[in-house]
Amino acid sequence: MEALLLKNFLRSKGLMTGLLILFVAGLISLNIGKHFLDKNKEIIEKTAHYQQESIAKNVEFHPKEIGLLLYYVRFGLVNDMPNLVGLAIGQRDINPSLQSVTIRNLEEQKYATDLMNPMYQMLGNMDFSFVLIYFFPLIIIAFCFNLISEEKEEGTWSLVLSQSRNPLKMLRIKILIRFVSVLLVLVLLLMIAKFYLAIPFNAAFLAFILTAILYVGFWFALAWLVASFHKNSSQNALILLLSWVTLTIVVPAGINALTVNLYPVPEAFSTVLESRDGYHNKWDEPKEPTVAKFHQHYPQFSQFKHPEGKDYSWLWYYAMQQMGDDEAAKEALAFKEKLKKRNAFSSTAGMFFPSIHTQLSLNALSLSDMDNYMNFIEKLENFHEQKRLYFYPKIFTEAAVSDENWKKFGLEFYQEQPSINWVKMLLPLLIISILCMFCAKLKFGKDLMAR
Amino acid sequence: MLQAKNLTKTYGEQTALNSLNLTINEGEIFALLGQNGAGKTTTINCFLGFIQPSGGSASINGVSVAENALETKKYLAYIPETVMLYPNLSGIENLEFFSSLAGFSYGKDELSSFLSKAGLQNTAHNQRVGGYSKGMRQKVGIAIAIAKKAKALLLDEPTSGLDPKASNEFSEILRELAQNGTAVLMATHDIFRAKEVANRIGIMKEGNLVSVIDAKDISANELEKLYLQTV
Repeated sequence: MEALLLKNFLRSKGLMTGLLILFVAGLISLNIGKHFLDKNKEIIEKTAHYQQESIAKNVEFHPKEIGLLLYYVRFGLVNDMPNLVGLAIGQRDINPSLQSVTIRNLEEQKYATDLMNPMYQMLGNMDFSFVLIYFFPLIIIAFCFNLISEEKEEGTWSLVLSQSRNPLKMLRIKILIRFVSVLLVLVLLLMIAKFYLAIPFNAAFLAFILTAILYVGFWFALAWLVASFHKNSSQNALILLLSWVTLTIVVPAGINALTVNLYPVPEAFSTVLESRDGYHNKWDEPKEPTVAKFHQHYPQFSQFKHPEGKDYSWLWYYAMQQMGDDEAAKEALAFKEKLKKRNAFSSTAGMFFPSIHTQLSLNALSLSDMDNYMNFIEKLENFHEQKRLYFYPKIFTEAAVSDENWKKFGLEFYQEQPSINWVKMLLPLLIISILCMFCAKLKFGKDLMAR
Repeated sequence: MLQAKNLTKTYGEQTALNSLNLTINEGEIFALLGQNGAGKTTTINCFLGFIQPSGGSASINGVSVAENALETKKYLAYIPETVMLYPNLSGIENLEFFSSLAGFSYGKDELSSFLSKAGLQNTAHNQRVGGYSKGMRQKVGIAIAIAKKAKALLLDEPTSGLDPKASNEFSEILRELAQNGTAVLMATHDIFRAKEVANRIGIMKEGNLVSVIDAKDISANELEKLYLQTV
């Protein structure tokens, strides 16, 4: 029976075409991912080169004043991108994976991004996670919506019922064949991805694969549940497509709207204002209070004073820049806290909806999620602070530019390890799927013999 | 053997089947005649377990269908009015598939001999069913029923769509099955076929079994007259 059901499946042109289209869409998504990784690599290589070149030029142009030189010099920090990002680009296309900053005030520089084609940001990328989350379910729906109803509508069901003492077994094999065929395409694509995108086979990739398999499994469980209702093909298709629209479009948009309403961030705007006022206004104010505040922040630099009666000094200039950050610090912290709350809320709410949960999980594994970006920003703050602490004394003592070995300032890298919480990642998908199958079992038990 | 005791089926106010009492013994062929809507198919569907009776019982081999629908599947074979098969599989594959559903695993030669016995030409055995005519599909349906070696055979207008020669061959097959002890219940519109093949003939009207006649006691013409008077 199994062999013949498989034969029947393989001989169906429609189903085979579906698998082929799915496979091709997957290949296209892998290519998009490859392109994204290559572009990022290129940006990093070029920046590494131009950072050295630009420092050398600036040293040449401003050989006398280290304070002036450091006005210009930029230091780059890379948010290292695992190749898994090629499968789930996530926020990496909006948030830059490389930030170059001067030691001037940081707040203004944090959100300065590359020039981007806004079209890409509007449409998003058709990466593998998109194909998995949006396209795989559609194929699964097309494969399963008429699992029983085609038998009823084509007239074979009555003969099946009269012959078989266990028609459920046949249906199980039917859906299993479909499940395995979709799984084969999924695994094949991931294997191609492994080599094409040079993804190391580590815990993150394994978790990625398992999450993808469970997500596909969930849609089959849902299709199995809908089949157990014994509705006709058009009703089944309607129920499944409505589920698709709800799970992949309506609920994510709804949760997003809810998050924005629950945790509004007026701080985003006020941080910018505070930061700007924090230093711009200092030009019109007496210099001493600014320097005094700076000394409060960094007592270790108390011995450096603003020369009395002078209009300008590098100490005052960098103290003024520092105020841009210091006066916005409270708002910036509140902003971060809000973003963390938003994140926590959507990841909790997402657990009940496989599409959201899968997207968030895949992005977390690929380090392309909001958490990674916020960690990177924190790292950038440290990086920036280290550079300040290193250069402040040199600026204040007017150290000679030539005494510094400028060649040592290459790109620095922030490398995060994804934290994999296996239970939190896999259990929600598993529970929902099992629930679907359990309800289906109850339903099938009741009505299976009805023609 | 097939037995109906006060078998009743109502849909709301309408009575599709009214207290049917009928016993078909091993080796007996019983033909049910009647207009569309007289209750013939309802009777068959009650034996198949496709519909739940509102009252009374249908039993096969002494086992109640309503209570043990899966158990009774073992004893029965069924040929619907229009046999529908999987168009992507060949005739022999369809037969193999439906036989395996019933728990049989036959070799290719056996399967082929069932199809030949049912009258399907050898050249068609390995062709996809998508290209079959209705009569050819019907023959595969017959082969499926033969291969199941069931104690009871339920037929719903099995010869509609068959040409006279095929119909005749079909009668032969039915007689042979009956000789081997199968109880056959056949709903049909074909009075002459009923007279020729059946041992007993029942005429139904509006859910009631109005009369039961021994086929040997009546000629085809008399049967037609009786049928027309009854309905």
